[in-house]
Amino acid sequence: MQVHLEKVNSKDEEQAVIKAFEITDEIKGAIELLEGESKGFAVSREGKTYIIRASAVYYIESVDKKTFVYTKQGCYDCKYRLYELETMLGGYFMRCSKSMIINLRKVRNVRSQISGRIDATLLNDEVVVISRGYVKEVKKRLGLG
Amino acid sequence: MSKLKLWFVQTMMISFAILVGIIIEGVVYSVFMGEDLASFNLSWLQLLSVVLTGAFCSIPTLIWLTDNDLPKSKFIIRLVLHCIGLYVIVSLFGLLFKWYQHIDGFIMMTVIYFLVYVFVWLVTLWLYKRDDNKINKALDDIRDEE
Repeated sequence: MQVHLEKVNSKDEEQAVIKAFEITDEIKGAIELLEGESKGFAVSREGKTYIIRASAVYYIESVDKKTFVYTKQGCYDCKYRLYELETMLGGYFMRCSKSMIINLRKVRNVRSQISGRIDATLLNDEVVVISRGYVKEVKKRLGLG
Repeated sequence: MSKLKLWFVQTMMISFAILVGIIIEGVVYSVFMGEDLASFNLSWLQLLSVVLTGAFCSIPTLIWLTDNDLPKSKFIIRLVLHCIGLYVIVSLFGLLFKWYQHIDGFIMMTVIYFLVYVFVWLVTLWLYKRDDNKINKALDDIRDEE
């Protein structure tokens, strides 16, 4: 596959376009790598430490200065703070309230409430709240803004 | 959005809504009561009173409607309080700045107030729904398969 690299002036302008005849495992891997989904980070549960892939994470929550990572397999403790994970993961991981980061790839659908908040139903049927103040950023990340 | 910016934006929006109400009132008087539309004018004091009313009406909005993490039931209670609070402020300013000389003017202002209030909320809900549809469509393209 031919690779073209074009230098841009700012981080906001960065983008990757992949032209492919079919989506192979290699291309899927490249997409995950570019979107930061293949990144792994350390979490712990019941005294054991695990490395989980970002793509397995549904959402990350901060409660009483402790960070909890939620996946299909359950909840894990994490030593990183929310703002560190936000920078580290990037891509479709974004702040949806002061105390939560959501993985947009795990959202089944969203529904606005009359109060302005948005209820996001995840693939595991949990419902998390997206504050109205973050909607602009959600749209931007999804290429709508 | 900072409280000051929100207060300013709300003041502009509510002042505009009141002006729309005044225009509706002018048209109603002209079309249904045969008054000359050309004679319908506003003094600088009336325009100032509209902006002042908008500024005061923004205060209940800042107090009751900026916390969007509230459960639906609590939010609806606040919405009712907000609607009544704004109506009281608009009515008092109307009396103070002599927006109406007779009871029919006050009744018309009341009707227009509630129509504009409901209209604003219907538009807001429509905009929310439109946002939901756009976001859900975009999510379909990136969602993980499980």
